[in-house]
Amino acid sequence: MDFKTGIIGSGTSVGGDVDLLIAGGGPAALAAALYAARYGIDHVVIESYQPGGQAALTALIENYPGIMEIAGGDLAEKMKEQAEKWGGVFRMETVTSTTSREEDLVEVKTDSAVYNAKYLIIATGAAPAKLGVPGEDKFYGRGVSYCATCDAPFFKNKRVMVVGGGDSAVKESLHLADFASHLTVVHRRNKFRAEPYLGKKLLSCDNCDVMWNTTVKSIEGGDGVEAVVLNTPDGETRVEVDGVFVYVGRRPSTEPFRELVDLNPDGTVKTVNVVHTSRKNVLAAGDVTDNELRQVVTAVADGARAAAAVFDLMQQEGDV
Amino acid sequence: MPLLSESDANEVRKIFGVLVKDVYVKVFTQKLECPTCRDTEAILKELDDLSQKLHVKFYNFQTDREEAEKNGVEMVPAIVVSDGTHSRVKFYGTPSGYEFSSLLTVMVDMGGKDEPLSGETLEFLDGLDEKLKIRVFVTPTCPHCPSAAVLASRMARYSENVESEVIEANEFPELSMKYGVQGVPRTVINDRFYVEGALPESMLVAALREALKDDPPGEKNLMDYIHT
Ligand SMILES: Cc1cc2nc3c(=O)[nH]c(=O)nc-3n(C[C@H](O)[C@H](O)[C@H](O)COP(=O)(O)OP(=O)(O)OC[C@H]3O[C@@H](n4cnc5c(N)ncnc54)[C@H](O)[C@@H]3O)c2cc1C
Repeated sequence: MDFKTGIIGSGTSVGGDVDLLIAGGGPAALAAALYAARYGIDHVVIESYQPGGQAALTALIENYPGIMEIAGGDLAEKMKEQAEKWGGVFRMETVTSTTSREEDLVEVKTDSAVYNAKYLIIATGAAPAKLGVPGEDKFYGRGVSYCATCDAPFFKNKRVMVVGGGDSAVKESLHLADFASHLTVVHRRNKFRAEPYLGKKLLSCDNCDVMWNTTVKSIEGGDGVEAVVLNTPDGETRVEVDGVFVYVGRRPSTEPFRELVDLNPDGTVKTVNVVHTSRKNVLAAGDVTDNELRQVVTAVADGARAAAAVFDLMQQEGDV
Repeated sequence: MPLLSESDANEVRKIFGVLVKDVYVKVFTQKLECPTCRDTEAILKELDDLSQKLHVKFYNFQTDREEAEKNGVEMVPAIVVSDGTHSRVKFYGTPSGYEFSSLLTVMVDMGGKDEPLSGETLEFLDGLDEKLKIRVFVTPTCPHCPSAAVLASRMARYSENVESEVIEANEFPELSMKYGVQGVPRTVINDRFYVEGALPESMLVAALREALKDDPPGEKNLMDYIHT
């Protein structure tokens, strides 16, 4: 049994002036907070939920160097504790919009306050992409899920479908296979994009099968999910399942920064030299950027670089 | 062997350092047919030792019927957290994983000196002219659950018109089934409104303001009351 000791922030923020605002609370933001705190930069981390981001949504991380294996939530909690030990400041709020003000201040509005920040690190990561098929929204929470660690226990001895073929689809399938009576993985290509090791493991799973070159047409049911209609190379077919877990990619969470910095057509923040954006006092880190490879190890590296870049700029300005 | 590791216990001790008022906790368990009651008792005993401000009392759900009924406890394990004057804030199930952080937060709210809700929320609660029963279904492995669990508990802590129940869905499969829970967090209000996922405080209040004016024939999603 494990016990998470993070305390949930209050809704009584006052906002105000701050040297550095870090938007988001996933691995990238947690690393940025650790470095900013150690640099002695006046800062605040603004995260909608418990810190951890997508990393907290996976039961097993085994490719973060130095740690053999760990639950994502535990890794995130350790990162937060480490940042707090050095003076990291966290608030539970949601960034709703950002605007550039005179003297290069960034005005950051949240659901409960307004901040004026000299520097901003955008580390809001990404959220699961939807399939965009009929039934998906209707059955969200009623059999359609985007979080296997959260919801797997509801599908003990039930028939489950996973849609996707990347790292998270395959890794979460392995987690779900321990609960489900039968697991069907539906992938639109003819091979996995996931690490070969993960793919092999899934293909050798006893209660799993994979439907290649197949896409989802719709999700059907009554009170809950009952079946998924698929387009397969042999035509349309209906597979009866009790749950559908969707892992078909991610949407960068950049809506509040649309007016502030240049974005790519896919919605990610356009970066130069890894963490710099179209605006000098705005940095970006992790899955929210267009940097290759979206993992915990790259997110924390970006976060550290972004905080270091802020420290450099502040030194140039004589702010620290 | 204690359930809390040495480092977790130290962390909790530090967190409880902010308690300025006494916090009263009633734990209801039973000996038979409750596989998780023992762990719940054990963890609450350990918590009790970590702060002078915390006063934990244990009751047997079968033999202390009167106390259970007085507190509106309907299943076990149950944890009722209060300042000694009410029993509006309840947790059902073992407080492990992320549910532990919800429980800790609610204890800190109860005994801390600051009001955790925003002025806007307090105004809404002050104006409430009907009773709200908020059930939040959670699992210990769900990182977004504490936000929803804590928000409901905070509203119940503040307002005499609100009652909250945070329910560990795995431990109460029948109730979860009854409410069609297949994903968490799921918040159900007065069996009339529900919402999937954790809404920010301001959004939940805005949705509730609209929803309570409405009298839908069946269950209705709170998201339908959010105009963007
Ligand atoms: C199922 C799954 C399994 C994975 N497995 C692994 C693995 O085994 N190994 C590995 O290295 N990586 C893994 N990853 C990838 C890894 O989790 C991500 O690359 C990493 O978390 C990215 O970190 P980030 O900080 O950039 O963004 P995120 O983790 O996405 O964090 C962003 C945070 O910002 C918050 N946020 C968003 N918008 C706002 C706003 N407007 N205001 C306030 N807060 C906001 C979000 O709530 C979130 O907490 C996995 C991902 C998934 C989904």
